[in-house]
Formats: sequence, C-alpha cells, structure tokens
Amino acid sequence: MPVIEVKNLKKYYRVHQKEPGLAGSIKSLFHRKYYDAKAVDGVSFSIDEGELIGFIGPNGAGKTTTLKVLSGLLYPTSGHVSVLGYIPWDRKPAFQKQFSLVMGQKNQLWWDLPAMESFILNKEIYEVPQAQYNKTLDELVDLLEVKDYLKVQVRKLSLGQRMKMELIAALIHSPKILFLDEPTIGLDVVMQKKMRDFIKEYNRRFNSTIILTSHYMDDVKELCERVIIIDKGKLLFDGALSEIIKKFANHKLLTVVFSEPVDEKKLADIGVVKKFDYPQCVISVRRNATSLAAAELLQHFPVADLNIEEPQIEDIIREVFTGKDLA
Amino acid sequence: MRKYLTVFAIDWQNQFIYRLNFVLWRFRNILRVLMTYFLWSTIFSVQTSVFGYTREQIMAYLLLVIFLYGFVGSSPSNDNIGGEVSSGALNNFLTKPIGYLRYWFTRDLSSKLLNVIFAVGEIFLLWLIFRPPLVFSSQPAVILIGILMLVSAVIIFYLLGKLALASVFWAPENTWGFMFVVLVLMEMLTGLIFPLDILPRSAFTALQFTPFPYLLYFPLAAFIGRLSPLEAVRLLFQSLVWLGILFYLVKRVWSAGYKVYSASGG
Repeated sequence: MPVIEVKNLKKYYRVHQKEPGLAGSIKSLFHRKYYDAKAVDGVSFSIDEGELIGFIGPNGAGKTTTLKVLSGLLYPTSGHVSVLGYIPWDRKPAFQKQFSLVMGQKNQLWWDLPAMESFILNKEIYEVPQAQYNKTLDELVDLLEVKDYLKVQVRKLSLGQRMKMELIAALIHSPKILFLDEPTIGLDVVMQKKMRDFIKEYNRRFNSTIILTSHYMDDVKELCERVIIIDKGKLLFDGALSEIIKKFANHKLLTVVFSEPVDEKKLADIGVVKKFDYPQCVISVRRNATSLAAAELLQHFPVADLNIEEPQIEDIIREVFTGKDLA
Repeated sequence: MRKYLTVFAIDWQNQFIYRLNFVLWRFRNILRVLMTYFLWSTIFSVQTSVFGYTREQIMAYLLLVIFLYGFVGSSPSNDNIGGEVSSGALNNFLTKPIGYLRYWFTRDLSSKLLNVIFAVGEIFLLWLIFRPPLVFSSQPAVILIGILMLVSAVIIFYLLGKLALASVFWAPENTWGFMFVVLVLMEMLTGLIFPLDILPRSAFTALQFTPFPYLLYFPLAAFIGRLSPLEAVRLLFQSLVWLGILFYLVKRVWSAGYKVYSASGG
C-alpha cells in the first residue's frame, strides 16, 4: 500500500514577462504579458512506507514544486495526488500532524531565542504528549549531538548547528513522512556527511518515508536506493540507482596507458577521446562496441595497460540533463 | 488553545530580547503625549475653554487616549505579516496545524499586555506632572460596556490591519499594503489627537459610519462618562456590527489570498 501516490501531476505557473529597462517597466504597468511556465508537467510515481527516495534534477526542474504540492502548499493545475490517504492542499490538521517539510534555505526556529523554545512551541502545535516529547527530543539530541547548544540563541549557532536544530524542530512530532528540500545546502563536507548519517539512521530506526532533494550526488548515492529524476517538469527516470547506468550510459570508458607515444588523431577512429595526457588516455566508446574497440587498441597501438570502466554516475546524470551523448 | 498560550509565552520572552526597540517605542508614545499637550497648551493660552473642553479635561482626555492607544494600537502583526507572506515564511504555518491569523493575534495580545504594563507607569508619571482631574463615569454599567467596546476595538483594529495587508497576496512586492492608509486614518479619525466631538455635528455623525471612532474615541467616551447608558449600548452594538463585517471580509479575502498563494507558491 503506497503512502504517496502521484498521477499525472501538472503544475503550471503564470509568469509575468517584463521587457528590459525603464520603458519596459512603464509598459508593464499598463499591459502585462504572461506565459505558462510548466514547473511540473505530467509526473507520476508512487512511494511505499519506509522508502528513502532521492529526488534529483537541475535547478528549476520542478523538484521543490513537487514537494510543495505533496505538502499542501500548492495545489496542482491538474492530476491526482494522495499522501497518507489525504489530499494535501485540503490542509487537514490530521494530515499535517503526520508529515514535515524541511527546506534547507528557510528556517522555522525563533531567531532570538534558544532552539529549545521553538521545540516546545512545536510540541504544543502538534499536540505531542509530554512523555513522547521527552523521549523523541532525547533521542534526536543524542543522534545529532547538540546537547550543548540547546540553550544558545539560534542566531549565535553555526549554520550546521542550526540545520540540526531545524531538523529536530521538524521531527519533534515523529512525522511518518519527511520532505527534505536540500538539507545539506551550504554545509561543509564534514557536516554534510553527518547530516547524511542522521537521515539514514532516522529512516532505519523509525521506518519513516523520506523524500530528499539535493544537488549533491553524494547525498543521493549514499542514502537512496531509489531515485526519481526529473528535468523540465518531466519524469526522466524512476528506479534503482544502479539502473541509471544501464538505462542511460550507452558508453563505457577505456583507460589506456601507452608504452610509446602515439598519434592522437588515430585514436579518434576508436572512439571519443575524452582525455589525452601521455602516457594515459581515456576513450569513450559505445557499449556494444567495447570489446571490438579494445581489440583494435591492443592490435594497433603500443598498449601497456588497458581498463574498461563504467562511467561515473554524476557524469551520466549530467549528460542526461544536458542532453549530450558522449559516445 | 494550549498552543496559542505557548505562542503567547514565547512571544513574551521574545519581546524582552528587543528591549531597546521597546523602550524607543514607549519613548515615542511619551513624546506624542507631550507634543499634543504643548499644542493644546498654545490653544489654551488664548482662551480658557475650547469646544466645551477646559484645559484640564483635555489633558485628562489625552492621557487616557494615549493609554488606550497603547492597548489597541500596538500590533506587531502589522509590521510582520506582509514580509512573511512575500518571503514565503508563511509556508511554515500552512504546513502546520495552527491558524496563521490566530497565531498573530495571540502575539499581538502578548505585545499589548507588555505595553499596558508600561503605559500604566508612564501615565502615572505624567499624571503626577500635570495633575489633570481624571473624571470617570459614575455608572458601572457604562464602564462595563466601555470595556466590551474596548475588546471589540482591539479586534476591529486587528481585522482592519489584516484586510489592508491582504493585498500582499496579489502584489507580493507591496508588503506594507494599504497599512499606511489605515495608520494615517487611525491618527486622524479615531480621537487620538483630539476628542472627536469637537468636530461639526454632521462630520461627527458621518464618522460613526466608519470603523475608526470605535477604535479609541467611543470606548474612552464611555469611560469618562460622556455617554448615557442607552448611547453606550447603541454604540457597542454598532461597534460589533463593524466587527462582524470586518470579520467576514477578512475571512473571504484571506481565503482568496491563500488560494492565490497556493497557485503561485511562496
């Protein structure tokens, strides 16, 4: 039984176009041109309880818009959405008590007070019983190692500490579903890693369903078994991370080390030369022509070493987004 | 209910962080009393009675109106809601089981309580300096009605502000909305600078068809015994009619605003 179901979701925005300059500004006072921006354009997926999903795509792909629809902030132009059996944009309290939305670039904590005060307020807003609150808070504070900062004004915390506090505030009512929009944005690598560990552990321990959007492939690679890729509002891929390679990588990489100098131009017959830095050379070749290319190389060139590798997942995704075919 | 009590408690703590802001805001209130006092002093330097008010009566009126203004007019929601809507901070509330307008009303009440506590002290000091004769209505019923009118006034002012601010949903760059207009009208038409009954009869009557005199002048008139019980009841009723109208309007306009917000996103 899926906890989140999305069928043919579309969200178009009316966007106002302004011509450049002061004249354009004056003109737009009287006459405005609009066009429909298709933020999400016919996306469908379903998510089961306890899944940890990576939601990836370039800026403006429609990730955040989708999360906003799922959390009831936006209603769609068309399509069917059901989260825990509710229609999100009805904003029923019974639904709101079961999920949480964390946006890496927005905060909910009271800036001038210690984070503890915001936790207490959320406890009351979500009507969490005292005993459960104590238990959850202890657990989260322990997991995130923030015991020493609970009584410090939020404005005095570092970005990393603050993000941890934001997470606690968002989790104090033990939501069944967690939407994380860029939770690691702006954090240093050490803190990113800690965040990731926490998200993984939280998912494991509480079997909560988590959807995570991120720019950082490391987040997704480390956390998510399943990824959903969208670009320009359309769903490009939905499946296991390892499947991305099968589906999109129509090439492999041959890394060759030569024993003598060779003519770079001749290598172009084998495949696309991605890097040539004598004695090493990386050539991209079509997947189904890999063995032929390797044989060719060994036969006609002074090869000291040869390696056949799958391309990096980051590279594949970048290619998918830019629409380039590298082989 | 408990969640709003907690909002009240947290806002109370938060206010103490902004001590300097608060002190300056109170200082501005005292300056306002003094300025109005000197204005009236000039008028009274050439005549002993103006529009049926003696110098002492005017002073008493001004002291009390400033006290009421601290209560009715202190409303931090008016300074914050526009920004929260246009920046998308409203998202924090729309995803939680809490009412946004109730949340801000609670914070306003917290601010009003703090202001009243300080206003009592200031009024006492000013009273010590000027010693105006403070005369109150001798009829407890009228005083009681005055209190009800004051409660209604607090809500009317809140609703007026929210109605003015709702424009931010349609024009997010205009965070202050029509709030400025409301505040200017508040200064001129509520009795903050002069008692409204010194106006020509027709103007005074016409004002009763706006929500403004119900904010300060009529509750105060009840307290200082310028209203008969019958008049007081009638004006309380009219005040409640305004409350009802504004409540309906705010509900309609904000629900339309939320729709626009959910169409375009924060």
